[in-house]
Amino acid sequence: MPLLRMVHWHRAVVSITVMLMASTLVADERLEALEEQAFREAAALAEPSIVRIETVGGLDVLDGLITPSGPTTGVVVGADGWIITSSFNFASRPASILVTTPDGTRRAASVAATDEARMLTLLKVDASRLTPLAAAPLEEMRVGQWAIALGRTFDQPFPSISVGIVSALGRIWGRAIQTDAKTSPTNYGGPLLDVQGRALGIIVPLDPQKTDATAGVEWYDSGIGFAIPMEDIYAVLSRMQAGEQLKPGRMGLTFKDLGPTAGEPIVDRVRAGSPAYDAGLRAGDRITAVDGRVVSRVPHVRHLLGRKYAGDAIALTYMRDGSESAAQMTLVATLEPYEAPLLGILPERVPWAERTGETTGAGVRFVLPDSPAARSGIVRRDVVTKVDGDQIVDAAALRDAVSRHRPGDTVEIGIVRGGREETISVKLTAMSANVPADLPTEAVPAREPAAGEGAPKTGRWVDNLGGDPERSYWAYVPADYDPALPAGLVVWLHPAGDTMEADILRKWQAACDRRGIILVGPKTAQPSGWKPGDIAFVTDLVQELRERYAVDPLRIVVHAYGDAAPMASAVVFRNRETFRGLSLVGASLRAAPPESTPEFSLQFHILCGGNDPEREAAQKSAEALEELRFPVLFQRVEELGHEYPSAEALGGIAAWVDALDRI
Amino acid sequence: MRGGIRRWLLMATVGFLWAATSVRAQSSREAIDAVLPRMVKIFGAGGLQNLEAYGTGFLVSADGHIVTAWSHLLDTDRVSVVLDDGRRFAAETIGFEPTLELALLKIDAERLPHFDLEEVAEAGPGARVLAFSNMFQVAVGDEPVSVMHGVIAAVGPLSARRGRFEVAYSGPVYIVDAVTNNSGAAGGVLTTRDGQLLGMIGRPLRNADSSTQLNYAVPMTELADTIRQIRTGDFSRRRDEASPDQAQNFTAADFGIVLVPDVVERTPAYVDAVFRESEAAAVGLRPDDLIVFANGRLVPSCKALEVELGRLQPQDDLTLVVRRGGALLTVTMTAPRTVPER
Repeated sequence: MPLLRMVHWHRAVVSITVMLMASTLVADERLEALEEQAFREAAALAEPSIVRIETVGGLDVLDGLITPSGPTTGVVVGADGWIITSSFNFASRPASILVTTPDGTRRAASVAATDEARMLTLLKVDASRLTPLAAAPLEEMRVGQWAIALGRTFDQPFPSISVGIVSALGRIWGRAIQTDAKTSPTNYGGPLLDVQGRALGIIVPLDPQKTDATAGVEWYDSGIGFAIPMEDIYAVLSRMQAGEQLKPGRMGLTFKDLGPTAGEPIVDRVRAGSPAYDAGLRAGDRITAVDGRVVSRVPHVRHLLGRKYAGDAIALTYMRDGSESAAQMTLVATLEPYEAPLLGILPERVPWAERTGETTGAGVRFVLPDSPAARSGIVRRDVVTKVDGDQIVDAAALRDAVSRHRPGDTVEIGIVRGGREETISVKLTAMSANVPADLPTEAVPAREPAAGEGAPKTGRWVDNLGGDPERSYWAYVPADYDPALPAGLVVWLHPAGDTMEADILRKWQAACDRRGIILVGPKTAQPSGWKPGDIAFVTDLVQELRERYAVDPLRIVVHAYGDAAPMASAVVFRNRETFRGLSLVGASLRAAPPESTPEFSLQFHILCGGNDPEREAAQKSAEALEELRFPVLFQRVEELGHEYPSAEALGGIAAWVDALDRI
Repeated sequence: MRGGIRRWLLMATVGFLWAATSVRAQSSREAIDAVLPRMVKIFGAGGLQNLEAYGTGFLVSADGHIVTAWSHLLDTDRVSVVLDDGRRFAAETIGFEPTLELALLKIDAERLPHFDLEEVAEAGPGARVLAFSNMFQVAVGDEPVSVMHGVIAAVGPLSARRGRFEVAYSGPVYIVDAVTNNSGAAGGVLTTRDGQLLGMIGRPLRNADSSTQLNYAVPMTELADTIRQIRTGDFSRRRDEASPDQAQNFTAADFGIVLVPDVVERTPAYVDAVFRESEAAAVGLRPDDLIVFANGRLVPSCKALEVELGRLQPQDDLTLVVRRGGALLTVTMTAPRTVPER
């Protein structure tokens, strides 16, 4: 007769402890066996709640980039057919979603709601009597406890298992649990369990700095994985079941310091029309408390804000001129887009001090025709020294001061002309992308081009990035490149299967020489075109060029033709801090554009042939971007089909690049 | 029962779960001590274009037979092998099987510690495992190879995973949750936590679509016969013929269990009824219990349970884990004294 005894789990834990104390190899073996059994039993307990999700008819290609495809995982959160999963699984916007429940039944599913703050999607299937997975209480979670990740992507009856521990709590601005259990497309959407088979959370890819659906995937299997606490999910489940789209809540404030070591939460900008603006906050205010909790640094504020959704209320206290005030606001999902103002000048690029010996001011090297500056009588060679009475030390200061105004504002511009100071009232307009194609080039002070051993390479050359033959590229550097005068940088992304190297070089060479533009052409190793993994190649390449040459950070753009346009959009939109412009030829924008922000200006140039089948879509893209308050220049070339234009037609693009630093 | 999910643990079965075939249960520390001397470091062709000139292998005979992954490394007549004790030998490739990506080497040595191919283990999802390899050539000379730990994430055919691979082998593999398949790791071993040989680590594979690296090992049960054949030169015995007919010693009814009608390919192993006065009744099994593990093996279906029962010998222990409501229950029964006539 076999021995049968009931042992409560906690007594098992006690037994484990006792064995540890015995400290023998036999005890080691028993502990290992017990833990192994606990992992498997936790998985077996949760198993009936774990479903397999297939995206049938789904696109392999998202925005022209091949995306991960194949089955993924979901977790039952409501007996009558509610399934929660990672939004990563739907990045490719599949036409049809199928959910296979553990009993082997396959059902069509519909998307009920998404949580854009936590990258989750709620699915509904027509089913009843499913087994919802219980949530482990957040307050019981401890760093170091076992965490078991389950997925149902293999064609196997039992979920796949990975075991680790809880590495941290409250990660990604208070939203996620971190674990060292292996997370990857194999188990995104699946549960992270405790040893009792309860869900700590739902596994999602996340990146503290990025917000798109596939951000964080590059950390797969690295020991850095994230899960959204199941308690938090159940807390908003009824809102999602009612079809509410949950979005991150926004105030409309930005802080001067954004990095992880950012200091005091002093407001840098307040977006016009935002909740914070309406609640009375202004630049220079110092936030002292959020919802009653004292904050002293920017990350504190972001942590407390990070857990909130649009529609949630938030209470701030802030210091202004030595006295404290309180503000209440309701967070919103989208802010009014930032619309950049235009003064209408091109500033001198060689620092004014170096050129003239003057120590302060921004020299005007060109006044855009029909601009506010032109209408107010600002002329070439004026030096702007003040905006609204504040001293302007250089072009960057002028740019910043102007960007803090709205189109329509009148500003007092202090200038020095012929040694005499003057103040001119200028009514700003919205930044337009219209730039005369015959824009004059910067007058380069005559210098001897560097020569000899250590001189930077000029002309056309080829190389592999980091010696990797799969990361080859070509570049063209104007012969009179001068390190003292930072160059523009155009990254050419070729269409699938054709680098067009000779054609591009031939058509661009003169413009590069004339306007001081470095042209670089990375080549994708895949004949089928660019893949998401190549984005890092492009950004690494830009970094490499910036290390080798003096590149003007205000004039770095991506230029793409045809089917490379989606890759170009992905590169630019995911690296706003690097790229100031996107130029598309014979293509429309097929990725959702980001938000126009004052921190990272972004301008667009779209060129399309009058006979190109893409022309209408391209024009629509331009109109959509304008609606989002981006400066867009749409150039239609008559008599041109779906082909790369002539050198003459490209002159407008070169001028547009050359004018990206206008103010 | 008060609050929370309670759990039944049969302490007496500790050590049997997932180690049912073990000769003697040992701790991971003991297992590592036993396995490391059986591992070798291999040096051969390579060194160009991201092709490493090093790899891993393991001894399968006292007189110097070494199993490794078949790769560019062996494309030279100057393959050398460094034993755990630092001794270096020239190795000869005595055979290979490209469809299994398997090669057998021989060095001229005697009385070496080695794995016994007659004693290979199998394991399922959640089983704790150890991986041994000279990944990234971290070990040199008499340094032991690197050891990693993890669990088996899944067992399934290589081709069933997301995306496509350019790989000849398409049989089942152990997918591991540790990052085992690194440069130079191919030819290393995966063992159970108590050191039983489970599989050979394969070369790094990358999923072309999701760009994720796959960590896997080819089960020794797929390789052992071929290794023996290469070693003896006797290829007359095909693997298919070698496996005896599936034994069916016992069925659920012999324990007093009636399963639900097995109507579909994967009918879950629900108990439909329990005979009175039977072993099953004595340990408290009830209708509607779902049998999830039998002797530590996953039981995804009625068929799988019958396979497990068929393997039992008279008077073997049968430990079942059943789900009842939201809880798991572990019971142990004993097989009858004789195999019934059928």
